[in-house]
Amino acid sequence: MTSDVETDERDLELVPARRLLDPEPIARFELAPGDRILVAEGDRVSVGMGLAERQREPRVDDGPPVAGATEVDHPALRAGDWWPGDGHEGGGPLRRRHPRSPAGELLHPEDGRWRIATGSHVDVLEAPAAGTVLEAIPGRGLTIRLAGSALAGTSAAGIPTRGRLERAIGETGLRGALDVGRAGAILVVDGRIDSEAIIRARATGVRGVIASSLAGKDLRDLQASEARQRASLQPLAPFAVLVLDGTARRPLAGPVADLLGSLEGREVAIVVDPPLVVFNPPSPAIPPPGRDRVRVMGGDLVGREGRWLRGAGLRRFPAGVLLEAATIALDDGEVATVALADLERFV
Amino acid sequence: MTVDPNVLLAIDLGAATASAALIGPVDGRRRLLGSLALPAGVSEDRLADHLLERIRRADPALADDLGLGDGALATVPRRIVRSAPPPTLVVLAPTVRARLAVERVAGLAGWRTRGASLEPDGTIGLTRTALERGVDALAVTGDPATSREETTAMTELAATVEGIVGRPSAPRLIRVGELARDDLGLEPEAPTGEGSMYAPGPEAGEPPGEPLRHLLERLDPTGPTSRRSALTALIDLAAALDRRIELVEVGFDGALRAVAGPHGLEASPAFVPAASAVPLDLDDDAVDEVLAWSTVALDRHRMRDRLRDLRLSPWLEAHGDGARLRLAAARAAVTRLVTLTPWLEALPAPDLIVVAGGAWAAAPGPAIALAIADVIRRPGTSQLAFDHARLLGPLGAIEDPVERQALFAELADDLLAPLGSLIVPLGLRAGRSAGRLTVRGPAGETSLDLVPGGLQLVDLPPGQLAEVDLRFRDPVGMGTRGRHLTVQVGGGLGGLLVDLRDIPLRLPERPERRRALLEAWQAAFWAGGDQ
Repeated sequence: MTSDVETDERDLELVPARRLLDPEPIARFELAPGDRILVAEGDRVSVGMGLAERQREPRVDDGPPVAGATEVDHPALRAGDWWPGDGHEGGGPLRRRHPRSPAGELLHPEDGRWRIATGSHVDVLEAPAAGTVLEAIPGRGLTIRLAGSALAGTSAAGIPTRGRLERAIGETGLRGALDVGRAGAILVVDGRIDSEAIIRARATGVRGVIASSLAGKDLRDLQASEARQRASLQPLAPFAVLVLDGTARRPLAGPVADLLGSLEGREVAIVVDPPLVVFNPPSPAIPPPGRDRVRVMGGDLVGREGRWLRGAGLRRFPAGVLLEAATIALDDGEVATVALADLERFV
Repeated sequence: MTVDPNVLLAIDLGAATASAALIGPVDGRRRLLGSLALPAGVSEDRLADHLLERIRRADPALADDLGLGDGALATVPRRIVRSAPPPTLVVLAPTVRARLAVERVAGLAGWRTRGASLEPDGTIGLTRTALERGVDALAVTGDPATSREETTAMTELAATVEGIVGRPSAPRLIRVGELARDDLGLEPEAPTGEGSMYAPGPEAGEPPGEPLRHLLERLDPTGPTSRRSALTALIDLAAALDRRIELVEVGFDGALRAVAGPHGLEASPAFVPAASAVPLDLDDDAVDEVLAWSTVALDRHRMRDRLRDLRLSPWLEAHGDGARLRLAAARAAVTRLVTLTPWLEALPAPDLIVVAGGAWAAAPGPAIALAIADVIRRPGTSQLAFDHARLLGPLGAIEDPVERQALFAELADDLLAPLGSLIVPLGLRAGRSAGRLTVRGPAGETSLDLVPGGLQLVDLPPGQLAEVDLRFRDPVGMGTRGRHLTVQVGGGLGGLLVDLRDIPLRLPERPERRRALLEAWQAAFWAGGDQ
């Protein structure tokens, strides 16, 4: 028969695990028809390098003529290719007159000419972190394996960005921190935050905000504000918000706070798809959280952390629900029995 | 010691819930020995090991007899099924109407749908939607053109699609409808020679859309998932029990509704991703549907946040208000399922309604029974049961039909937890009393007044049978129409529910009154649960 100690240790593995560090983060950058990709598969990209030009208001226009039966394009054109505009048409010399067709992405042939997706205003999408291009698909997007490690969040909004990491405690701390001296920073906010504070942060040149939680309404307000900015045709500075936990208010998890604390003052990046904070691993490396370290994610003890003691079997919880439970020792010494599914551990 | 050859570990690794059940011989017959459900993410071995350890502690002698001692984990035969996210179909059409017709059929065949129409979205919108990540197939459809504008639109759509499929990253193309056939001169399901195929239109066949739904089901690239296996299990179970059974399965990524009798399916089943426990797209309508069933006072923003968190962590706070919120979301999901499957709703009340899926995983049995009674409102008498050990998927995945059916015949008593019986009469007139009901069971005789608009609960424990004598003042519909009806019912965790509420159920418009009424109905079903 297995010993009780071994069983308790094994029961810990039933607690939902969350990865603290992703050593090989992969980021995706969504693109649309008409966006021009500036890199190719296999390219190594460095921080700040242009990855693509995004059209703000793409439109359909006439492109080059479709090659006839006796003509041959060099190389043959096909949907998704980038058409650089007139002057290259038919391979002839550049002509000093208004271009016959603008630059754009080939969509489909129609009435002997290609239709292209083009536009007048572009935003350059810059690499927030160094990496290697895994996939570059016109009209769909880029996939890049990023150098460094990453901390995963649950949601993010905005444009991938980069800046030095600084901490602000709560909304008051954030409001106090909002001056131009913080321009270029990515702020970690441990506590409540709303869209108004985030929009003010963006206006003062802050590059991003990392929050433990954010209400969905605030996230939508932020996205609406960003859409309004985009519509104004002003160049958009990269700015992103990353939420680590969800919408319910919780303090930063201890291991996450320790990690972000060790990165304070250093350059980090936020990517949106998937939601990640990307950074070069701190040196010296921070020790991983203890194997028996658990965090309460729901219920009356939400946000508190402690140590796993043992599985407590099936227990009846409020509303008559039977759930697998666990006994944990909280950091203040209190021993509590909580639903196993309300816990998380970092691996 | 070797493991008994009749022992089987049935594992269902769902998108939100991982469950394991152990089947083994007891007194010469295979029985369910134990089961366990936990949040998804736990390893298959750890889940199975935890269950075996629990069985060893509960009955060491039985565990020894079956060879389930330490080290048995690696040698216990396993039957594993997994859930997979539904495949995505993008539908392109010249008009919104044509697009929605195909999306409706595809949404009943297990496909998650997105779409774009030339009318509002334009060529760039169409191309962008078709090229998005995660698209498994692309359907193009259109109506026969009756004007020059429509001909132009179809020409533009065809050119746009040609551009899309000309890209190396293009998804598989399905040309849907008469127009595509006329254009291409193809027979249904014939490949067009360029990796694309022709499919019948959304109105073709009897019932309309059936051939397209059938084709799309077969094109589902996710393979045999636990939901598909559960359908096989339903058919076998109906044959084994010789009864008409309805399956209502609601999970994290979709839902299944089907009705089977002793001779097989009675109508087309519906695999509906849109009826998942928490929809992927939490628009206002989806949030309002849950609010309509919620007894927890929340505004729309807060409810959306709670649902978003529920989608992120489906097992978090599965107790207290969280349990009630889950069942409100499950009711909303079943409401969507019922709305989208009118041909199943039109069938007579089945003998047995089997509730399954992760949406109900942590809920108390009586509360599940009421949730089903609230939403599936057919006049008649049905028993309710719950696939508590999540065995339908794994057992339905057994390839050998003879072995599968034998197992269902042996396990029928253990497989389903009885939730109770439901009596729903149609056509009650408002008044103080619609008649009288008498229940004659092993515990004696109970008699009560039938009050229109009320929900009456008679204690009838699992395993007990009772005869119910119903005497109404006026004729009512319960499958047959009459004043005096006698039915046999079985007990369950929720007892006997005599549901005299409206069909369909009408709830007050004002949120406070609606919540108060829902709470009053639910009080008896969550009783004693808050301690």
